[in-house]
Amino acid sequence: MSTTANAVSTTLSTHDMHSTTMRSSWQLVKRSLINTRRLPSAFFPTLAMPIFNMISFSGTFFALTRLPGFPTDRSVNWFMPLGLAMGAAFSGVGLGFSLIRDLENGFYDRLRMSPTSRTSLIVGPILATWIRVTLVTLIVFGVGTLLGARPTAGVLSYLCSWIAAIGISTIGAGWGLGLAFRFQDMRGAAIMQMSIFLTMFLSTAQVPLYVMTGWLHTVARINPITNIFRLSRSGWVNATDPGYMSWSNSYGGLIAIAALSALTVIFALRSLQKIDN
Amino acid sequence: MNNSPIIAENLVRHFGDVHAVKGIDLEVKAGEVFGFLGPNGAGKSTAVRMLTTLLRPTSGTARVAGFDVVKQADQVRRNIGVALQDAAIDPLMTGAELLALQAVLYGIPSSSLKKRSDELLERVGLTAAASRRVSTYSGGMRRRLDLALSLIHQPTVLFLDEPTTGLDPMSRLTLWEEVRRLNREGTTVMLTTQYLEEADQLADRIAIIDHGKIVREGKPADLKASVGAPTLIINTNIDQVEKANAVLSTFGDLRPGAEGALGVGLRGGASQVTEVVRKLDEAGVHVQHLEINEPSLDDVFAEATGYRLEGADNAPSAGDNGDEEPKKKKRRGRK
Repeated sequence: MSTTANAVSTTLSTHDMHSTTMRSSWQLVKRSLINTRRLPSAFFPTLAMPIFNMISFSGTFFALTRLPGFPTDRSVNWFMPLGLAMGAAFSGVGLGFSLIRDLENGFYDRLRMSPTSRTSLIVGPILATWIRVTLVTLIVFGVGTLLGARPTAGVLSYLCSWIAAIGISTIGAGWGLGLAFRFQDMRGAAIMQMSIFLTMFLSTAQVPLYVMTGWLHTVARINPITNIFRLSRSGWVNATDPGYMSWSNSYGGLIAIAALSALTVIFALRSLQKIDN
Repeated sequence: MNNSPIIAENLVRHFGDVHAVKGIDLEVKAGEVFGFLGPNGAGKSTAVRMLTTLLRPTSGTARVAGFDVVKQADQVRRNIGVALQDAAIDPLMTGAELLALQAVLYGIPSSSLKKRSDELLERVGLTAAASRRVSTYSGGMRRRLDLALSLIHQPTVLFLDEPTTGLDPMSRLTLWEEVRRLNREGTTVMLTTQYLEEADQLADRIAIIDHGKIVREGKPADLKASVGAPTLIINTNIDQVEKANAVLSTFGDLRPGAEGALGVGLRGGASQVTEVVRKLDEAGVHVQHLEINEPSLDDVFAEATGYRLEGADNAPSAGDNGDEEPKKKKRRGRK
């Protein structure tokens, strides 16, 4: 009978480890996408919300475009990036909801008991979220175009909005996963939703910074999400607007995405390690 | 150096003020089926979660497959297979998809993945259902898939946490047979169960855990022999219990019976039954039901803990005192 003496060799080379992490991550991406395909009702809010927001906000707040100095004369150009951000945030925190379900029904124990790297348990689901967000982004672009959205910086307009959406989804996912690991039940879900949407709406999500006053202006100015919205909208505002596509209007958003993504993903990894401990 | 595949020394786990496992020592030898027997809330699952790296011990040490469960958790994971209590399986995926996922998580090369999955599906009789979603599986099929998933990487040590809870008798027998087969093939099995018959049928040795502590350990036959005398069980009217106990105690040690029944270990053996009945009759005790049982694991359990495992939902289990991992504190249907 085999025992300690012939326990399986457990030394993996660095290359093997990377390869295993990649394969595991990809397998978890597949699982996530399979679940999305087989349970479309769970994906529906992620798709419907941004479209609904874009249509309702651009219709209801059409008069905003008449404000002196408003960055665009097309309200849908202004609100489409908001819709994308909402969809991306929904996708991100939705990952936290899925994780809570896996934790509650015990499936996550199976993943934790496997020798795969903890990184793959975080990276795989985030990659799946990127795929879902890309799909939502394409649909929102399509609907936005039908509603009259027109890019002012060509392909870069789409690219910047997509990068912003991916960034927000990563931040939401890291935050959602971290909270799910900490709470391990639906208490985490409430905090996820409230915190991420509060942070979003305390930025320039709905109106430009120059129309805000008082504490709201101060908070929105220092809120890093404002930089992400600036990046996302830089190709949808008039070419004469100070917020138009330029490096100086983009790097702040890119830095915010990189920094917040890193922080929230580290938070998720640390929280997972906390469960292991 | 001790080569036993499972060794635990003074393993302790607290959840705040709740003491779920209070210092257990275990040694499971290579090739054994080791039964870990106890009621709900006794600390079985918490102990298994520590041995399978899901939970860090508060104190104490454990080595599984030769590796420390805390310091070498990854190596432990590579060498063990685990089928947990609730057969936690994603219901949206198919059996084949889950096996593929599990195989990749355990680093099985793509070239051998399909072959291994097919072998396991055939082994557990799920080949025909491989492409069906797990949500369409019966409880028995889920358990068999769970077992297949735990075997994907050919572990040397297999943990089965209440593998037959909630299964119908036929599914239970099928699973038992599979456990025996795995053991014959050389796998060391640690089986937690609340079913006496299961432990009796499968285990080479058992440990009885109650309130987070191991109260008996040994071979089932030896444990039963240690109880000695057969047990006479009677049922009588509630107002005659005191009188009946007085009579019974003259024939041996009183033993708790299930659900209000009275029991006595007959010092003089089964031949004393006639005399007991006569004495009860003389004392005016109306006997509604009488049976004599050879020593069983339930007797061992009763002797060790003061209550019976059969019908233990009424017993003062550790869970009732809060001595169980908070998240796992739930009751299950019984056999």
